Amino acid sequence: MFPYLLVGPAVLYLLAITLYPGLFAIYQSLFVVKFVNWSWAGLGNYMRIIQDREFWAALGNTAIIGGLSLGLQTTIAMTVAFFCYRDSFVRGWRIVFLMPMLFMPSAVAFIWKLAFNDGRVISDLLMSVGLVSNNVDWLSSIWLARLTLIVADVWQWTPFLFIIFVGALQGQDEEIEEAARLDGASWSSIFWNISLPMMRPIIVVAVTLRGIDITTMFTNVYIMTQGTPGGATETMSYFIYRQGFRMFNFGYASAASVLMLFITIVVAQTIVKRAFKSGKS
Amino acid sequence: MASVRKSGGENLLVRYIILVSWALVCVVPILWFLTIGFRPRTEIIVPEPIYWPTWSLDAWRLLVSDWPIALYLRNSILAVAGSVVIDLVLAIPAAFALARYEFKGREDIGFYILSTRMMAPAIVAVPIFFLFKNIGLLDSVWALMLIYAAINLSLVTWIIRSYMLDIPKELEDAARTDGASDLTILREIMIPACLPGIITAAVIAAIFAINEFLFTLLIASTSKAYTMSVALANFTGGSDGVIYNAIALVSFIAFAPILILVILIQKHLSRGLTMGAVKG
Repeated sequence: MFPYLLVGPAVLYLLAITLYPGLFAIYQSLFVVKFVNWSWAGLGNYMRIIQDREFWAALGNTAIIGGLSLGLQTTIAMTVAFFCYRDSFVRGWRIVFLMPMLFMPSAVAFIWKLAFNDGRVISDLLMSVGLVSNNVDWLSSIWLARLTLIVADVWQWTPFLFIIFVGALQGQDEEIEEAARLDGASWSSIFWNISLPMMRPIIVVAVTLRGIDITTMFTNVYIMTQGTPGGATETMSYFIYRQGFRMFNFGYASAASVLMLFITIVVAQTIVKRAFKSGKS
Repeated sequence: MASVRKSGGENLLVRYIILVSWALVCVVPILWFLTIGFRPRTEIIVPEPIYWPTWSLDAWRLLVSDWPIALYLRNSILAVAGSVVIDLVLAIPAAFALARYEFKGREDIGFYILSTRMMAPAIVAVPIFFLFKNIGLLDSVWALMLIYAAINLSLVTWIIRSYMLDIPKELEDAARTDGASDLTILREIMIPACLPGIITAAVIAAIFAINEFLFTLLIASTSKAYTMSVALANFTGGSDGVIYNAIALVSFIAFAPILILVILIQKHLSRGLTMGAVKG
């Protein structure tokens, strides 16, 4: 009994804040909600949502923006971490690499909104090196708008992966590295043949955690693009927010939430469970 | 230093060029944004960027006169500190049970706690909004405190659990033969021994709580319960557009304490951020 008493309060707290909302969302998704009027719709919201091009676009945007951003930040973090993990000179100022992560995300969104759009700094810098000939309107094209979100996310969250990778690399056995080096192994072969396989479980955990956070991307979209142009930067989280709190289609938003919850549970049960099991050993 | 010497001069140069470039990418936008905080409004949103501005304290005056910045700061501190206390009270016993007892369903309960971290805030946003609306807690710092605690409970539990697993069992066994009860062992042995883990968990939870945006946006529907994170997004003055200099100053008010906290727990950061999966 005693261990259940210890773990009980935490579990009850989490159930209250996840199970209740989950059930509520399922219930509400069966109604068309117009302010205080709830009218029964059965599976109507779901039928509409699977035909809603905006819903599929949001899913696709989340995958595209998230996938590119995750790939980029993993590569940069790994490179920087591998180049500095045993360097005592860099260790002295390594905190610099962490700084973007310590900034409030809403403020980071404003930094990039100003740099790209309102202050035209990025355009000006690109013009001065001759890469573009006139001012770029970053919100005018699908890919440029997505790029601004990717830049903001990569800038802020590469440090998260970096610090985890550095931790993992520092934990690796120095003698194996030393032996390989004495055998004449090059730096890149040490990376590919020793460090990378050793770090695999940790990379999986770190990338999974980051991947989950990226798929919930909201703040940057809300502040920087609001989904423009033409919904090309609308993520799933922003779709739910817009349906619920801008258009007041609460039943519809709940249906989208339930679908997203379903995806989350599948991912959690397969990828995350495995990632944390292998991460432990 | 050995590895530096062996990797050769040429490599070393390339390496430092890459490292220094990335360091600049990290730090230059922050320094630039700091200068934004000390510029007059007229020199920020401009057709041509002004790299050498005239300095001004407009933003400071604006913050003090036009916005209840002290209230936002108080809301942030209250909600964040309260949520961390709730987390520790709930997580320490839970972590103790998960790390030290055999019981039916232990793995599943542990994984359930972990999996709540995977839930996108947007999924529960609508129901949580109605929940707090129905119990009359919209627009209240207390609601934010409860939400932040829920968001971070999983990671606080898992971090502390990971540190507790590292404590040698012999310490407890000795105490147990002396007749100490389980709660005494938790209080007198486990908590002191895993204090670095508890502090790491608290700091990381506090950072996530300070940063929280979506729930705060929904629950704090008027400025009464705004935290710094959401107050920022409302620093717009109609036709004047976004008031960047005020935003910059507020963001640095939050940045400074976070930086100090992270420097203090730097060694534990990679372990904390992976919820104990990396023993960095």
